[in-house]
Amino acid sequence: MAETVVGGVDVWKVYGTGEAQVAALRGVNVDIRRGEMVAIRGASGCGKTTFLNCFSGLDEITRGTITIEGTNIQALTDRQRSEYRAKRTGFVFQSYNLLPVLSAVENVEMPLLISGIKSKEARHRANEILTGLGLGDRLHHRPAELSGGQQQRVSLARALVSRPAIVWADEPTGNLDLEGTKQVTELLRQLNQQFSQTIVVVTHDLEVANACDRTLLMQDGQFVQ
Amino acid sequence: MTDSTIVVLVGIVALILLATALLALRSRLTFRIAMRNIRRSRSRTILVILGLLVGTTIISGSFVVGDTLQELELHYTYLGGGLTDEAIYAVGPSGGYTYFPYSTYTQIASSALPNPSIAGMTPMIIDVTQALDKSTGIPQTNLNLIGVNGNQSQVLGSFVADNGTSIAGPAPGEALLDDQAAQQMDAVAGNTLVLFGRSSLVVTVQAVVQDNLRGAYLTGGIEGGNVFVSLPTAQTLQNSSGLINGISITNVGSQQDGVGLSSSVSASLNATLAGIPAAVGLTVHEPLQDAVNAASSAATSITSIFLVLGLFSIVAGAMLIVGIFIMLSEERKGEMGMLRAIGLQRGDLIRIYYFEGLFYSVGSAFAGALLGVAVGYVLVYAFSLLFAGGGLTATAIFQSFTVTPDSLVESYVIGFLLTLITVVVASHRASRLNIVRAIRDVPEPPPPRRLYAYLAYIGVVVAALGALLLATTLHGSSDISDPILGGAMLILGGGLIASHFAPNRPVFTAVGLGLLLWAGLEPLHRAVLGTTHSGGIFVLFVEGILMIGGALLLYIFNSSVLVDGLIRLVGNRPDRTAIVRIGLAHPSRQPGRTVITLCIFALVVFTMVAVATFGATVGSNLQDSIVTESGGYSFVGVSPEPIPNLPGQIANNSTLNADFANVVPVVNGQVNVNVTGYSFNPFADSLYAAPTGVPAASNFYDTNQFTFYATWNGMTPAEVFSALETNTSVAVVDQTYDQPGGAVAGAPSGPHPTTAPGSLIVLGRPGSDATTQVRVIGVLTEELITGIWVNPTAAAHLGYVNQTLYFLTVRAGVSTTTAANQAKAAFYRSGLVLYDIEADLASSIASTQGFIGLLEIFVGLGLAVGISAMGIVALRAVVERRREIGMIRAQGFTQGMVLKSFVLEYSFVTLLGLAIGASLGVLIVYNLSISATAAASGVTSLDIPWLNIVLIVVVAYALAMAAIAVPSIRASRVPPAEAVRATD
Repeated sequence: MAETVVGGVDVWKVYGTGEAQVAALRGVNVDIRRGEMVAIRGASGCGKTTFLNCFSGLDEITRGTITIEGTNIQALTDRQRSEYRAKRTGFVFQSYNLLPVLSAVENVEMPLLISGIKSKEARHRANEILTGLGLGDRLHHRPAELSGGQQQRVSLARALVSRPAIVWADEPTGNLDLEGTKQVTELLRQLNQQFSQTIVVVTHDLEVANACDRTLLMQDGQFVQ
Repeated sequence: MTDSTIVVLVGIVALILLATALLALRSRLTFRIAMRNIRRSRSRTILVILGLLVGTTIISGSFVVGDTLQELELHYTYLGGGLTDEAIYAVGPSGGYTYFPYSTYTQIASSALPNPSIAGMTPMIIDVTQALDKSTGIPQTNLNLIGVNGNQSQVLGSFVADNGTSIAGPAPGEALLDDQAAQQMDAVAGNTLVLFGRSSLVVTVQAVVQDNLRGAYLTGGIEGGNVFVSLPTAQTLQNSSGLINGISITNVGSQQDGVGLSSSVSASLNATLAGIPAAVGLTVHEPLQDAVNAASSAATSITSIFLVLGLFSIVAGAMLIVGIFIMLSEERKGEMGMLRAIGLQRGDLIRIYYFEGLFYSVGSAFAGALLGVAVGYVLVYAFSLLFAGGGLTATAIFQSFTVTPDSLVESYVIGFLLTLITVVVASHRASRLNIVRAIRDVPEPPPPRRLYAYLAYIGVVVAALGALLLATTLHGSSDISDPILGGAMLILGGGLIASHFAPNRPVFTAVGLGLLLWAGLEPLHRAVLGTTHSGGIFVLFVEGILMIGGALLLYIFNSSVLVDGLIRLVGNRPDRTAIVRIGLAHPSRQPGRTVITLCIFALVVFTMVAVATFGATVGSNLQDSIVTESGGYSFVGVSPEPIPNLPGQIANNSTLNADFANVVPVVNGQVNVNVTGYSFNPFADSLYAAPTGVPAASNFYDTNQFTFYATWNGMTPAEVFSALETNTSVAVVDQTYDQPGGAVAGAPSGPHPTTAPGSLIVLGRPGSDATTQVRVIGVLTEELITGIWVNPTAAAHLGYVNQTLYFLTVRAGVSTTTAANQAKAAFYRSGLVLYDIEADLASSIASTQGFIGLLEIFVGLGLAVGISAMGIVALRAVVERRREIGMIRAQGFTQGMVLKSFVLEYSFVTLLGLAIGASLGVLIVYNLSISATAAASGVTSLDIPWLNIVLIVVVAYALAMAAIAVPSIRASRVPPAEAVRATD
């Protein structure tokens, strides 16, 4: 059996104080294995995005323990967590979050530069992955000059270019039409199988969930299935 | 400003407010939304008002400085003018007043006094005297001798002794000293004075009188000193029994009322003089009116300097207003999109911004006008510290601090309208939004092709207007800023037309380069426009704006090339490359947003550096001109009468011989100069001739170090002086003869004539038939001692043999002050007055530097605009780029890397703005230093004050970094999860 990559024990995330307190995560326990492609589903406001933010190291938790590749990420400093994100994780968001002032290839090479890859090598790898994703003729276009599907493919390329251990995807098909959704889902599945990367996808989309190895259903800040 | 103008300005504001009130009644919803926008964030409202008030502050501050200087000038002008509204006298060849019989006065008085506008007339003697206070042993030369009878001069007011008692006039055989003269000799009432004029006379100091309207007559209580004696005493001293040399006329009413009557009284007096044969040669003058006009003109000139330099800050302030409204519109883009979605029209959005902007305009113009008073107060205080000296005390300057209601109203209205117009334009722009893109916060696409068609039409109009302006002013004598502006409009219009047919980058790069070269290359101006145009300080503004505009266009359309080059330069380390790429991405890829901040910094630093460089250049050229102007001598001396064998007297006096190494006496007289082609012949000027055949130590031709601006047939200076020594038909003129079209203040017959080496001029003695024709063989570089140098034989031919001008050189190691005092003590009876050229020029340098320093402080206020802009832009960036910051943090950017990228971005913008401003500031002064006007003014080399410029750049950069510190830190602390959640 593959090793645990993402582990969570009794993870709580509470927003606000006093009577205004809202518990977005209520004692979440989770175990995601290397090479798994897992879908997180649930109704709006159930805590899916909070789960992603906390487990990816973007946000602090209130209580509990999260281990990523055996490391308790709560014990890391902000700088260590940044370094960890740079080297071991990739992100895909619903609205792509590409930097509008950078071209497609510059967006994709950014994580490589942050993690210490030389400019030339970074540019080569960014070109390669974008070409592989069918964007060879869009390398120097800025996000505003790309369609939604193309932007999401750039976003995927950016998440995967540094071969991260885990890719966190938050509603990656939320802004796409049916065709775009199909393309992105196939890409995620293909990359997961090709590079054995762990992919955690927060999604409403049943088609995306069906393409995953398993689906975790979240309700009121807890996994119920 | 006239009262009617004020009424019109106030009327405009009232109309705007009334129209706005009506509009608010008709469109209550938009008015309510606007008022709520104002109230929603008090700190934001304060920030906006602070940003908006800068322009008004600068305008108001300029006016306050102008009002104060005018008050100061007028105060001393009225003090020096006293109650003499008109004066009747004739000027003799030596420059002094010609004496005429007392009976002429009685004839004039009997005819003129019935004029109801004339309160009284006073016969006077006004001359120069030397004095020795026998009680203190201190001599003083060059004092004003004013002979007047107390009973005849009641209309001139009373003397007030220092103990407060009123004195009608000087008693016979006694003298009244004003405070200045008394201080110079340490004299008090009861002391014995020996006065020296055409004879000598012993008098007693009757009293020391205050420098009030009567005591400060002619001097204003600032420079020189007055000795008042009775008319018979003055006549005795001047061997002029029964004679006077001037009549003072006092008009009815106050001083201001009297000045108002000067024109009509002068006309009446001229008619009177015409009917009196004995009055031939006498003319009527309006000294007080002339002095008031000169004082007002001087104050207006200084106000103009402050206003024109302030224009850069005002433009920067307008840019800031645009920036603020872009910020507000970007911030509210979503809600404005929603308002449009639920049915509000575009006009409603404009009204919302307009109501809000009007509120800000009303408040900021009010606050700015008041703040300007405070700024003016600080400037006047600084002025009082820098320029106090002699009789002009710091207290007197400071007490002249004046704020007129007119200036306050004017600055308020200008500030209000400036802000409001900018707000309306910015509102118009902000209201143009795509509803869907606004709601979804999607970036705007590139402008459609249709826009370029509009731009092309505008380009045709701009180019046509520019061509017209250029064609009509190309070869004239108009202000040179006219053709420069015309040419610039032609370039810009051409660019706008070309943008319809060709890609933007090459077109606007060419336009930017064209503007930069057209406005920034002085040799190009000379080649295209010639040298006949006039020029004022407004040229600085026009050229400055055009050059900065050109530089900014170059940046906007080539920023990516610049930044890519920088990235390649610093991009050895991958993490550094990431920071640099993120930090420089916005300035290079969205230069339109950066350009406002860039422009503001460039404008402000341009003026600061230009002012500093100008000050340094003028200062260094003045320093350089010391030898040029003095001919290498320590002193220039003058005496009313020749001092026989002055070199010999000094050589035989052991004390003076130890002080002076060289004494050169020079013949001095007045000549009428006739220049071929000059419309106002003859031109009255001074004549100089140095003796020949004297020992080398006293030989002018061997000892002088004067240099030449131009010589005939390439003669060397030695050859020119050798020719002057031996040839009676050659002459040398000062440099004022080589200034094309140069008008000379006080020149009675029109502009100064010009002549070139090789020309023949005819010299004649006034009142005589004696003339001589001479060829100009050299034009001196100096213009301090103005006039014409000829061989002494030629001077003698004109009847001039008296040596009343002297050049003296102090021995090495001897104090010039000591030498001057000892020479004065020895020759005060002869009225020898020594001018220390070096000290005078040093004083000029100090004054110039002081004034420049004051201007630097003033234009430095514009930095407040830059800092506000930087802070606002940075604050906005944190909000606007929250998602981007979240994303790069998610990718592994540490807090430190985010902070570094922000600091890098704003450092880049600030330093680029500073570099553009500083380099163009130096360039414009360089242009000035190589212009024909500068050469004629003795400015021939550029002096760049590197230390000062570095200081300006460092301070501006430090302030900018202080402004972005908080936003940058806030950006670095944006929690990545929240930033991502906020948008997803």
